[in-house]
Amino acid sequence: MSRPAIDTEALRNTVAALPNAALAGPRAAALEHFTENGFPGTRHEDWKYTDLGQVVDISARWLESGAKSSEVIVPAGSPLETIEADWLVIANGRIDSEKLSQFDQPGVEITRLSDGEAKDSFKWPLTDLNTALLEDGIRIRVTSHAARPIGVLVIDSTDEQPVVSQARIDVDVEAHASAGFLEYHLSYGDADHYSNVVVNLNVSDNARADYVRVQDRARNHCQTARLSVTLGRDAILSHHGFDLGGKLVRNDLHIDIASPGSKAAFDGLYIAGDDQHIDNHTRVDHRVGPAVSRQEYRGILKGKARCVWNGKAIVHEGADGTDADQANHNLLLSSEAEIDAKPELEIYTDDVKCSHGTTVGQLDKTALFYLRSRGLDELQATRILTHAFAAGVVARVSNASLAELLSSKVEQRLGDLAESG
Amino acid sequence: MLNIKNLHATIGDNEILRGVSLSINAGEVHAIMGPNGSGKSTLAQVIAGHADYVVTEGTVEYKGRDLLDLEPEERAREGVFLGFQYPVEIPGVNNAYLLKAAVNAKRKHQGLDEIDAFEFLKLAKEKMAMLDMDPKFLNRGVNEGFSGGEKKRNEILQMAMLEPSLAILDETDSGLDIDALRAVAEGVNACRAPDRAILLVTHYQRLLDYIEPDHVHVLSEGRIVKSGDKSLALELEDKGYDWVKEAASA
Repeated sequence: MSRPAIDTEALRNTVAALPNAALAGPRAAALEHFTENGFPGTRHEDWKYTDLGQVVDISARWLESGAKSSEVIVPAGSPLETIEADWLVIANGRIDSEKLSQFDQPGVEITRLSDGEAKDSFKWPLTDLNTALLEDGIRIRVTSHAARPIGVLVIDSTDEQPVVSQARIDVDVEAHASAGFLEYHLSYGDADHYSNVVVNLNVSDNARADYVRVQDRARNHCQTARLSVTLGRDAILSHHGFDLGGKLVRNDLHIDIASPGSKAAFDGLYIAGDDQHIDNHTRVDHRVGPAVSRQEYRGILKGKARCVWNGKAIVHEGADGTDADQANHNLLLSSEAEIDAKPELEIYTDDVKCSHGTTVGQLDKTALFYLRSRGLDELQATRILTHAFAAGVVARVSNASLAELLSSKVEQRLGDLAESG
Repeated sequence: MLNIKNLHATIGDNEILRGVSLSINAGEVHAIMGPNGSGKSTLAQVIAGHADYVVTEGTVEYKGRDLLDLEPEERAREGVFLGFQYPVEIPGVNNAYLLKAAVNAKRKHQGLDEIDAFEFLKLAKEKMAMLDMDPKFLNRGVNEGFSGGEKKRNEILQMAMLEPSLAILDETDSGLDIDALRAVAEGVNACRAPDRAILLVTHYQRLLDYIEPDHVHVLSEGRIVKSGDKSLALELEDKGYDWVKEAASA
């Protein structure tokens, strides 16, 4: 399939003009990799259902129009004000210096990537793109128990021209340390936007990370995001992802279990209407056992929305005592909405417990009748059951102020869906 | 109050009810007994308005109105209550929320204001005490993780809160231990009133030791084959269902 190509020369010039010379080395190397491989296409198995054509198009137009950014104003009533957390802000790819210098929490060190040595793996084209175009990234080091959640607001905007921005967060939770993280995405503006996010999270031995990602972007904006996690011995990860907005959204969550005793529990909720496209790809590599991974994603689709859930669990040779479970449940509220749900288990050892379950359907008729038999009309019963389906994921968020916000966001979003065709 | 005439109902290609006629007056308690598969639950579901069952013949008149013409929620607001044989678990929907929404749906239909939060809680706790239910059940998901007995108590709680004119209790006694059975029966007996009718659907006579019916009917192969007073239930317990089936076909 032919797709609009981006102007490589313009990309090189844009990379060359970036500030923070300390990152020039990794940028140049990543740029070479990226220009060699380009954006992943739908012929690649992992990208079969998600065509990045419009992302390429936005990038091409952004380069054409001089690769400019636009001013970002954090709106009143943003999560910065309502959510209990110590906040950092990345606005159109630029780290907010004031927030960075104000950040003060015992046991948590915040630095810029340009202050230290940048490390890269060159495995994924979009990570390469991120590194090549990165103005700067945030590095978070947690050395003990962080009393307050650490929040990063990734906020992007456009005015007349399309904008592309990169966000990068590298997190290290050191041995025996623990912290709660919140990655919150917002955007606004009439022109197209493409945000490319890369987060690396290392949870060391006996450490714990509670990670919540909320994507509530403008409905004309696109995002690709990769969260790569490595788990140390007896490390614990809990992850909750919420996708409420965006036009084309692709999330990759990759968990690498290379030490025994770790536990990863992750889940997600995606709500999509109209022509939204939301793709969640997860991959867990069980390299050693015993270790536990549990995932459950839930989706609510209406209109012509198209969603993808692809959950891959690879139990490598010798990873005895692996316990992996994956589930994906979808509610289709219109005949034109479409979900591609694909559990993939690859098992190369004997002593394992693996299970998966996928459901796609409408609301439970018996439950609907039960509610109606109690005097609730069909519309009310439908709303209650749809909300309850979503609430199951929201209920797992331990930050009370965030759970409350998510609950009202979800309700609002479902209300919009109920009114839409 | 309820007048069923020659009711035939099918699910898919199966005809389950084959001409049921039954009349229930206000203040009465009727028991429908019968072997498994005789159509007892179908009758209960049809009265409540389950869409899977298609009425092919006959009429159901409730308070002088054509009940079959009403949506399930309209029937509920008009005072028909079905206590489910298998109450549905709805995780994520708070029990108190459903109770309150149900009470308010009926009140709105009656042209009354929504129930005051304080009043609601007081009433719910009072009814729960009668049923020997821990008030903490109010804050749990509807029937979520409830034991069989807890689910049945919860059904009776809903009934007690909604104060129906016609309560149909489908196998409310199944799966209950003796304490739960007593609590449930006590709840049902407390609901007996001159302006209210109760239809008990049960396989066993056991429940009728606690809730004394005015009339007992035996349903077999989709028809009422015998009616009598409470002694009929004892006779059934003694002789089994084959006896009525034989008597009916003779």
